[in-house]
Amino acid sequence: MSSMNRRQFIKFLGAASAASALPASMGIGAATTAPRVVVIGGGFAGATLAKYLRLWGGNIDVTLVDPAAAHIACILSNLVVTNALSMSRITLSYDSLRNKHGVRVLQDRATAIDPVGRQVRLAGGSSLPYDRLVLAPGIDFMPIPGWDPKKIPHAWQAGTQTTLLKNQLANMPSRGTFVMTIPKAPYRCPPGPYERACVVADYLKRRKPGSRVIVLDANPQIIVEPHTFGVAFNEIHKGVIEYYPNAAVTQVDSNTRTVSTTLGSFSASVLNVLPNMQAGKIVRDAGLAVDASNRWAPVDVLSYASTIHNDIHVIGDSQASGQPKSGHMANAQAKICADAILRSFAGLPLNAAPTTNSACYSPITATTASYLTAAFQYDPSTRSMKSVADAFGEADKISGDHYEAMFTWANSLFGDSFG
Amino acid sequence: MQYKKVIPSISALLTLAAGMTAMGGVAYAEPSAGQRLGAQCAQCHGTNGDGGFENIAGRNAASLYNGLLEMKARPVEGIMDRQARGYTDEQLWLISEYFATQQSSGGSDD
Repeated sequence: MSSMNRRQFIKFLGAASAASALPASMGIGAATTAPRVVVIGGGFAGATLAKYLRLWGGNIDVTLVDPAAAHIACILSNLVVTNALSMSRITLSYDSLRNKHGVRVLQDRATAIDPVGRQVRLAGGSSLPYDRLVLAPGIDFMPIPGWDPKKIPHAWQAGTQTTLLKNQLANMPSRGTFVMTIPKAPYRCPPGPYERACVVADYLKRRKPGSRVIVLDANPQIIVEPHTFGVAFNEIHKGVIEYYPNAAVTQVDSNTRTVSTTLGSFSASVLNVLPNMQAGKIVRDAGLAVDASNRWAPVDVLSYASTIHNDIHVIGDSQASGQPKSGHMANAQAKICADAILRSFAGLPLNAAPTTNSACYSPITATTASYLTAAFQYDPSTRSMKSVADAFGEADKISGDHYEAMFTWANSLFGDSFG
Repeated sequence: MQYKKVIPSISALLTLAAGMTAMGGVAYAEPSAGQRLGAQCAQCHGTNGDGGFENIAGRNAASLYNGLLEMKARPVEGIMDRQARGYTDEQLWLISEYFATQQSSGGSDD
C-alpha cells in the first residue's frame, strides 16, 4: 500500500472515530511497526509530551532521552536555596512515564542529529532512529568573560547548582552582600529572578542580619509583576534590596566574586550570576535557532514543528514563539505538539485554534506569595499565539493564601507532567 | 467543532484493527474541541480534571459553565477570574461539556 493510500485509509479511520473505541490489545500490536518519536530532554516539556503521546495516541513508540536519572524542577527551587524545602521535594521521577505510560526512558545525552537519515546519536554510542523528533532541552547560557559557574552559581538549572548557591548563602557572614544579576529578556521564568531576590532577602533578614541584596537588572525596569515586586522591593524588603535597572554584565572575576556591569563593578560575599540565555546546544547545533537573535528556534505554533525541519519539533524554553519560558507553558506547548504529531501520523489536519495558558506563583517571603497568569489564543493573521489582554495579570496583593496555593499549583503541574 | 460519535460494529473493528496492525497506522481519532481545550486546564486541575485545585472531572456541565461565566464577568479577584477571560463563551461551554464526561478519582481515560 502506498503511503498516500495508507494516509487516506487512516484518515478514514480517524473520521469515523473507530480507532478510539479499540481496546489497547487490539491496537497496533507490533512495536516494530509503531511510529517512533524520540524526545530529547526530560523537563516539563519533554515529560508532558511523552506522557500525552502515550495517553492519547496509544501505540506510539516513545523514547525519552535525558542525562539525569530524574528531573529536578526549577519550580520551587528558590525555596531549596533558602533551605525551606528539601531537594527531594522538587525531584521528579520518570517512574510513572516508564511504568504507567509505557515510555522508554534512556539516561543518556543526545550529541548529534542527522535530519536526513532521521536519527539521533547518543553519547553512550548508540543511535536512535525516529519518525518524529522532539527537542526539549531547555535553556543554555551565553558565555561571560571570566565566569566560572562552578564558583559563581547561576542556580537556574536545578540540582547541584541549587545546592552550591544554598551552601554559599548558608556560609555567608552577617552584614554580607548578596549580588545577583538579571539577564536581558527573554530568559527562563520571567518572575524568577525577582522572586529569588525576595526570598534571599527574607532569608538574610532572619539568618544574616545587616546583609544587603543588590539586584543588577540588564532590563530597563522590572519586566513582570511590577506592582508585586515594586511593593516587595520598596516596602517589604526595604533597606535590604537595592535594585539597579540597565545594568548589563560585561565581565566576572570568579575568584574575587566581582561583577563588572555597564553601571560599574560590584563585589559580593555571594555572587549569583544569571547570564543571558539561548536555546539548548542540541537545538543550536542542528541549525534550528535562527530567530532574529540567533538564540531561539522559530516554530509553527500549530505543531511546534521547526521552520527548518518539519519533522523536528521544538517545545519549551528553546523555541521562539514569544510565549513565556516556564514549566507551566512548556507543559501547555507539549500537549499542542503531542496532538499535532498524532494527527500527522493519522493523516488528520492540525488543530487550527490551539490555546495555551500560563500561571505561576512566586514566594515573596517565607510565608507569602504572589501570582502571574496569562492565556493565549492562536491568531491566524500573524500565525502566532496572542496573549488575551483581560486574562493577563498579577495578584492584587501578596498573601499567605497565595503561598498555600503555590504548593497546590506546583503539585498539580508536577503530576500532570510527570505523573 | 463537535465530536462525532460513530460506533462501528465489532466485526468492523476487528477488520480495522487487523488492517492497522499490518500497516502500523496510528489509532488516533480526532479529539473533540472540548478535550483539546480542557487539556490546558490540567496543569492546575489534574490530568483529565481529576485533581489539583478543584476536582472538576464529572461535574455537571451547566454548573461548571455558569461558574466560569460568573468568574469571567465579575471584578477580578482570583486567578480563575483572569483565566476565564481568556476564552470565548463557546470555548468555556466546550470545556465544561468535556469535563462533565470525565471520571473523578482514578478514573483517567488512558
